[in-house]
Amino acid sequence: MAYVAVSGGEEAIEESIRLLDFYRSGTDKDLETEAIENKLSLLVDRVMSEAGLYAKTLAVLALKQCEGSMEEAVFLLRAYRSTLTRNYYTRVVDTEGMRLTRRISAAFKDIAGGQILGATYDYTHRLIDFDIGRETPAALRRRIAETLAAQAPEDITPCPRVSAELKKEGLIDGFAQSDQAPHDVTVHTLEFPAGRSARLQTLSRADTGFISGLAYSALRGFGQAHPTVGELRCGYAELCLPYPLDETESVYIGEIMITEVECFNAADGKNQLGLAAGYGAVFGRSETKAIAMAVLDRELEAGGPYPAQDEEFVLTHGDSLEMNGFISHLKLPHYVTFQSKLDAVRKRRSAP
Amino acid sequence: MDGMADDMDRKRMTRILARADRRDVAALAAEIQKTHAPIVVKEPGKTLAMIKMREPVKESLFYIGETVVCEASVEIGGVRGMAVLMGGDPEKTLDMAIIDAAVNKGVFTGAATLLALEKGQLERIKRENAMHLKTMVNFESMDRGSDDLAADKKTRF
Repeated sequence: MAYVAVSGGEEAIEESIRLLDFYRSGTDKDLETEAIENKLSLLVDRVMSEAGLYAKTLAVLALKQCEGSMEEAVFLLRAYRSTLTRNYYTRVVDTEGMRLTRRISAAFKDIAGGQILGATYDYTHRLIDFDIGRETPAALRRRIAETLAAQAPEDITPCPRVSAELKKEGLIDGFAQSDQAPHDVTVHTLEFPAGRSARLQTLSRADTGFISGLAYSALRGFGQAHPTVGELRCGYAELCLPYPLDETESVYIGEIMITEVECFNAADGKNQLGLAAGYGAVFGRSETKAIAMAVLDRELEAGGPYPAQDEEFVLTHGDSLEMNGFISHLKLPHYVTFQSKLDAVRKRRSAP
Repeated sequence: MDGMADDMDRKRMTRILARADRRDVAALAAEIQKTHAPIVVKEPGKTLAMIKMREPVKESLFYIGETVVCEASVEIGGVRGMAVLMGGDPEKTLDMAIIDAAVNKGVFTGAATLLALEKGQLERIKRENAMHLKTMVNFESMDRGSDDLAADKKTRF
């Protein structure tokens, strides 16, 4: 018998849940949801990305409710999402036409549209700024508003992908557009070998730490050679739906911030003269995750003996809810199974 | 769409309304309600929209994730209108559905207001864009004497 239900502990559990408020009550200062959304946006982005749900207000509430625990916030968003119907599918998002806030290439210094550093911590000194503790929010906001007002408006110009040019030159294989309906891992169980759409959806909502570690392992020698970031772009992509009363028309429902990456490797095997690309796309400004996704996309495409190249290993162990849930279950009572293990050890010890 | 400029399609109209402050949208809906009595067909309610993307490597489709939207539907004089909006603002969604019904009925008179709102929105977006474009990198080759520059020209696009 593997599992036996136990009863009791209800009052202790209720008190334990009440005690969580003690840990949230350490100061009279409130953590305003508007402030979390606007000042901890990278944290909010990560919650939305790992939950697979772009919903800023809900992600903020979830973070506040669980003292900033990433895994609990993801759990709360996934649980909330499971209470809703899904009435809509967007039209295909045009990321090539997105309003860019950052765009760089490690492969070419001159790219059409230029390299836009945007807002990045890449070039900052990693020294704690003690003035932040005394910062006046209103003064900061006023300063930025004045800077914005002083700008001469610049037209938005979409930039072509770096890979598009390499495809024209035949250095990267081009493919005809496929409109095959994607696999949806939130509806259908992931099966192996997984289709490309299932792989990309799974990686995009995976735990950032898990896929970053796996991509790192591939770069350190447990995978293919060092890839080059052909293009990393962040920006706002518009979401549109078919107008429900006339599907020939579209309605705009809002925009999402996403990070998109294409990595280039030398193509292996029969195509030594070409390059191969890996792709990553994630909610929010999550560059490391997007790069890691692109690295793993290429590793899984190539296949091989290493963990980062093993589809089942990569795609079944990186979901925040599943991995944290399974590890957490070890905390629950295992009295009977452990007693049985103990009995077996005692018997072996007492055997002549 | 009646009463609108020729290039004002539904996507552009909903983009302006979605980006607008909810008070501006409420004012447009209130103007319609002075002369018409919208009937709510579907109360504002939350649902999900799955976001479909095309990846550039194999040009195939995949789902990046979902978003929460609010949807509502109304009728003005037997003509339907509806709205779907990211986030969970039921009042704004209902007001957008009223405006949509008024447009479909041909009784919307706020075209000029929409254009004014759009002008302000675009100006702000373009000013933000200007701030970002200031971070554009101007590379200068450090080694003009070598073949690198020639090679670089080949890869310039």
